Amino acid sequence: MDLGLRLTVAAALTLSPLLPLGARLAYLQVLRHDNLSTRASGEFARTAKEAAPRADLQDRHGRVLARSNPSWSCFVDKAMVKDPNAFGAKLSPLLGLPASEIARKTRAAHRFAWLKTGMTHGEFTQLAEARVEGLGLVPAQERVYPNGDLARGVLGLVGAEGNGLAGIEMSQNKRLNGRARRMDVIRDGQGRSIYKNVADAGDEPEPLRLTLDRTAQYLAEEALREGGEKGQFKEGIVAIQDPRNGEILAMAAWPPNPLRNPLVQDAFEPGSTFKVVTALAAVDDRVVRPDELFSGEGGKWQLTPGVTITDHEPEGDMNLTQIMERSSNIGVAKVVERVGATRFYRLARAFGFGAKTGAPLPGESAGELKPLSDLTKVGLAASSYGYGLAVSPLQMLGAYSAIANGGTLWEPKFFADGEPPVKVRRVASERAVREISLMLEGVVDRGTAASAKIPGYRAAGKTGTARKIDPLTRKYSTSAYTASFAGFLPASAPRWTILVILHEPKGAYYGGLVAAPIFARLGSRLLALEGVPSDRPAAPTLTARR
Amino acid sequence: MDALMGFDPRRVAKFAGLGALLLFLCWQHVQATRIGYRVETTRREARALRSRVADLRLKVDETMAPAALAARANTKLGMIPATPDSLRSLSGAAESGGLLPRLWARLPLVGPSRS
Repeated sequence: MDLGLRLTVAAALTLSPLLPLGARLAYLQVLRHDNLSTRASGEFARTAKEAAPRADLQDRHGRVLARSNPSWSCFVDKAMVKDPNAFGAKLSPLLGLPASEIARKTRAAHRFAWLKTGMTHGEFTQLAEARVEGLGLVPAQERVYPNGDLARGVLGLVGAEGNGLAGIEMSQNKRLNGRARRMDVIRDGQGRSIYKNVADAGDEPEPLRLTLDRTAQYLAEEALREGGEKGQFKEGIVAIQDPRNGEILAMAAWPPNPLRNPLVQDAFEPGSTFKVVTALAAVDDRVVRPDELFSGEGGKWQLTPGVTITDHEPEGDMNLTQIMERSSNIGVAKVVERVGATRFYRLARAFGFGAKTGAPLPGESAGELKPLSDLTKVGLAASSYGYGLAVSPLQMLGAYSAIANGGTLWEPKFFADGEPPVKVRRVASERAVREISLMLEGVVDRGTAASAKIPGYRAAGKTGTARKIDPLTRKYSTSAYTASFAGFLPASAPRWTILVILHEPKGAYYGGLVAAPIFARLGSRLLALEGVPSDRPAAPTLTARR
Repeated sequence: MDALMGFDPRRVAKFAGLGALLLFLCWQHVQATRIGYRVETTRREARALRSRVADLRLKVDETMAPAALAARANTKLGMIPATPDSLRSLSGAAESGGLLPRLWARLPLVGPSRS
């Protein structure tokens, strides 16, 4: 046998065991490649997902009102836990929870249950190192409010899944929520991750800047808190708006509730603060002369048989300015007869009453304004002094801002986004609005709102006191009132419109006695804070330095 | 003889080159894995640091919250809220920079602390 043949046979004998191996390899690599590759990826390749970021909420000066901090949550996979008691005992010192509670949660779980959320990085590291079977760890974002309860009624709150449940957090959820960054990683034999590449760079949204002023908000809440904590009223509301552009600077409510914003969601019978609508309608259409007198009827006037209007003080003859200063129901009911239902209704609608303002907050109330056809003689008279209708605090704030700025109704602005304010309409002539502003100054200087005075400054506004409907009898209560004051300052060049509403004040219940002092206190703090120069220099007096 | 044994220098060079390429690819793979571990470790460290920064930021924000500032101003410094008439505008005088205006600007306008 020649050498070549022998070598070939030897090579064939040596390599023949490799043939089935090669065939097997070809089968795995060629025929089953896709299937096996997918299985391998499933076992070793992972996508590491970071928690989706959520944008900060800031005040108008960029100060943080809400922020998302990285945190971790841990859960139990019941299928992987053999002994819940041992599992609980092992985790108890790490989680800082009683072992019995962990065991109970594990037993109660269908398969999955959260054990703890909002964990710090230290807690996470300890748990990760402990490698407890059945325990899972996921990154999350914890929503924190560094100012505590400040503006929580406006901001709302975020649920455990990272979605807004109320307030701005809810209405702007889409804008605030970012997209999580995802990375492809491979797990080695020991379960350690090896970075491969970025699968999705994610998206971190820009902070959302509100028009709220943190300091003004604090002052508004502080002004309410004192009375609220002493139980001087059941519920209270204070709101501040910049009448020059409709920006909402503060929205405070007592008791604070992140799930509810009564400034937007509630409607109330305004009482005498609504008299400005009647007065403005009269002045704008010149249906009442400035010197024209109306009889106060001694404080009691029978409008129709069975319907009598009363004033809190017996009054004689009054002109329109005096009617406003003394807050005479009889006087204003006589004025509205002259104005007529159509003019009155048209102006009330022009102020935005009976329609939503378009505030970007959930559950806005449109209030209730009777249709023109329902404004009978009695209905019109009652409406002229703010009964038989309902307005939202936000509508009332906007209306007084319109008077403060010379007649322009702005859409309430909540976001400091650089966009120009939206002008809704002009409600009345500038001349008429100026006249009404002077009347409102008279209310503070000589009328029912004497306690709204701020030394050295001109302030304007109107008090309101309305009986509340008793929910049991469905009639006006004789003991529950809504006291309010709406005004603006400094009256020479208004910078703030302030609305104060107190539901069911205890003891004194007139708006001029309980709501106006809150306006004065808050107004003086704002004036001092901004260093606004006096627009009414006081007569020189001797003062002692403290 | 060389030709008989198949020892062609060019072929050897080709095999050597191929071998070097294989070695390079192996080395590259090992390096990529090593860097992958390092990236993961660094990512964890970055996450821990971000968490720490967030905690510190939160502390700053909580310290600067108006309620916290007001409480400290009142209890520690004995300050009281200013009223508009207790303020004196010194913009003209203070800016002139003279000794007397500066002294005047430093005069206390409120009494001693009430602690």
